[in-house]
Amino acid sequence: MSRRLPLALAALTFAALFATQSGVGFVRDEGYYFEAAKSYEQWLQLLFRAPAAALRDTERYWSVNFEHPGLAKLLFAVSHLVFTTWLRWLPDALGWRVPGFVFAALLTYWLAVLGAERSRATAVLAPALFWAAERTFFHGHLACFDVPICALTAGVGVAWARAIGVLGAPAPTPRRHGVFLGGVFGCALAVKHNAWLLPPVLLVHGLLLPAPLRRRALFTLPWLLLGPVVLFVAWPLLWHQPARHVSDWISFHTHHVHYAWYYLGRELRGPPFPIFYPLVLLALVLPLPQVALFAAAGAKLLWDFAHRALSPLRLLELGLAGGAILPFMLRTTPVFGGIKHWLAFIALLSPEAAHLLARSAELAAGAGVPRLRALLVAAAAALLPGLWQIAHVHPYGTSAYGEIAGGIPGAASLGMQRQYWSNNVTAVLPWLNAHAPRGARVFFHEVNYESYRAYQQAGMLRPDIQYASGPGDAQYAAVQWHREFRDREPETWNAFGTRTPATGLYLDETPQVVVYARPGLPGAP
Amino acid sequence: MSLGALALLFDATLPLRLPTDRDYAEASAALRVRAGTADAIQLWPPWAERARLFVGSLPVRAEEDLRAADYPGVERLWLLSLPRVPHGRLGAAREALRQRGATPGEEIRLGALALEPWDLHGPRVLSFLTDPREEHEVDYVARPCTQVRIGRLPEPGRLLARGQGGALHVRAGVVGERAYQQSRGPVRLDVQVDGQPLAALAVPPTVPPESGWRKLDAAVPAGEHEFVFLVSARDVDRPFCVSAWTSDR
Repeated sequence: MSRRLPLALAALTFAALFATQSGVGFVRDEGYYFEAAKSYEQWLQLLFRAPAAALRDTERYWSVNFEHPGLAKLLFAVSHLVFTTWLRWLPDALGWRVPGFVFAALLTYWLAVLGAERSRATAVLAPALFWAAERTFFHGHLACFDVPICALTAGVGVAWARAIGVLGAPAPTPRRHGVFLGGVFGCALAVKHNAWLLPPVLLVHGLLLPAPLRRRALFTLPWLLLGPVVLFVAWPLLWHQPARHVSDWISFHTHHVHYAWYYLGRELRGPPFPIFYPLVLLALVLPLPQVALFAAAGAKLLWDFAHRALSPLRLLELGLAGGAILPFMLRTTPVFGGIKHWLAFIALLSPEAAHLLARSAELAAGAGVPRLRALLVAAAAALLPGLWQIAHVHPYGTSAYGEIAGGIPGAASLGMQRQYWSNNVTAVLPWLNAHAPRGARVFFHEVNYESYRAYQQAGMLRPDIQYASGPGDAQYAAVQWHREFRDREPETWNAFGTRTPATGLYLDETPQVVVYARPGLPGAP
Repeated sequence: MSLGALALLFDATLPLRLPTDRDYAEASAALRVRAGTADAIQLWPPWAERARLFVGSLPVRAEEDLRAADYPGVERLWLLSLPRVPHGRLGAAREALRQRGATPGEEIRLGALALEPWDLHGPRVLSFLTDPREEHEVDYVARPCTQVRIGRLPEPGRLLARGQGGALHVRAGVVGERAYQQSRGPVRLDVQVDGQPLAALAVPPTVPPESGWRKLDAAVPAGEHEFVFLVSARDVDRPFCVSAWTSDR
């Protein structure tokens, strides 16, 4: 199969994300990554001006956000440098976010490549099933690492499958495929530490293959040693005192804080977490057809594995999907952040899910329905609820819940995390811009200072509006509904002398961001 | 395909289950006409707080456990509910009110809202010993209570009040997430009446499903008294909240 269709789908993904990015708020983590990218951009400029000084002073510029490898943030910085600083084509935030769209497009490309091994319809449906949900669609917009590492997990899978000869035409030059595999794996390592789980998955996959393939797989594995080299090159922080920085990096994640997370009516504050938490969460946040199809795909892959009926490629997909989610079922791994940490699980199930969907359409075609019509109807049934969810909820992606949860209000009744990362505040910024007097002090609650500055730089928040540290020294408050921060709303009532909101973001009735104004100020009720 | 159709049917009809601004405006108007000064509104589900935009004329409560919740001074509770919202469990809320001895009046339907008066048949409040207008969150529910500084012995935090004797009700808890930090010791609340020790309440770190909103009930002889609430703990960097009132039973 030619690469034309995957490339076209990737371009479509990029365009869709680019066209729908304007309302997506700056999530808390993005604030830190924006700051890191600013620092790295300064380093790049120094590198062009005075390379020796840049090589000497890596720590000064790269210590910002030392806890994550450098590649994604370096790309955010390069994109901003080119498209915003030099060309002035894009505003700041969009400049930083463009590489995120590219990774999302790459994910589409690789899912389509995997899907294309089954059929042309599967090539289209695999990425469509992944993206036709507000949670995944939302994450595609961010200058963060979750979609990039998901894409690179799929990319490593494709590169591995090509290198061992189970995907596409037999490799004429195995070395080229090996170098590509090592390079993609290195990029994954240089984006997020999840990538360290990939070699064990590939090793197990290789060991489970039939003898000739097993031998080839085991000879391919050493190419993964290129990965740490790429990590080192793409992360200048490691260029001086690498042992110390690697130690800091590992230490940050082995001692990672457990944020309180609301789940089925209780706050999860620390281990042991419910073993099926990731699966239950997926079932509750994704649209019903995707839940059914991904569940069927997982079950079918496991069934065929148990009956030794899995092709090497499907075995690889099962392994990568399992490797993406199993760490979060250990009961000790931090589980905050919705589904973002195990996006690769559903991504790697997508080709199988798409195949099952296409097969069901073929069964209908066998019963006399024209094949194309059957396929279109099946695709519409699978994708329309997700597209509806996107149309209905976007850009408030961290709040989205599917039909099994009863939508957003059902999830609120079940006691699920209402939102996270504070990006929903974009809904009330226009109101604040319109009502707050000049120089007004606003308590933005979960919006960190970096994101507040980013909103001002992006022109979404008036530059004269000041950042207040709490309701006590604020004239307005934009309180975000979080179970664990419920104390801030009564604190605002007591400070402001009113319990009546001025406005707010309510998604299907559920409070997300509630704005209070001190009595007598513009906009106060 | 049928799953897809079902999902779309749910999505398309969800807005019909949710109240509009007009529904809330009608509820607000109904409450202005029917509610008295000793009335309050209880939202159901408790998260349905968009109502606060519309119904500012009465105290609004978002208690989660309607059987155990205190409503001091409230004679009639207006249950403002979303009866068609998914997983709303309105029946359980009504049953909880029945179990505490409350009796319902006639329900009014206002679009996707229901408004139902419940006579609580609660005791008559003789004195509020803490300010019922101040609210703080304890155990994720906004509760009328007064924040009191925690002190280290022998200098405990102190709250003074004067009021009538009767059945004394004291409620107390740590505000915010620090209530759940298990490494901390308990907070001790000592109650003195006219300078004499009456009772003590220990507020340990909250371990769900145990409530962090601790209760103490004691009898105080009739007549006016001076009440002192002394709050102490080993670690004092926690906001602490106390609610206290006396009633005729």
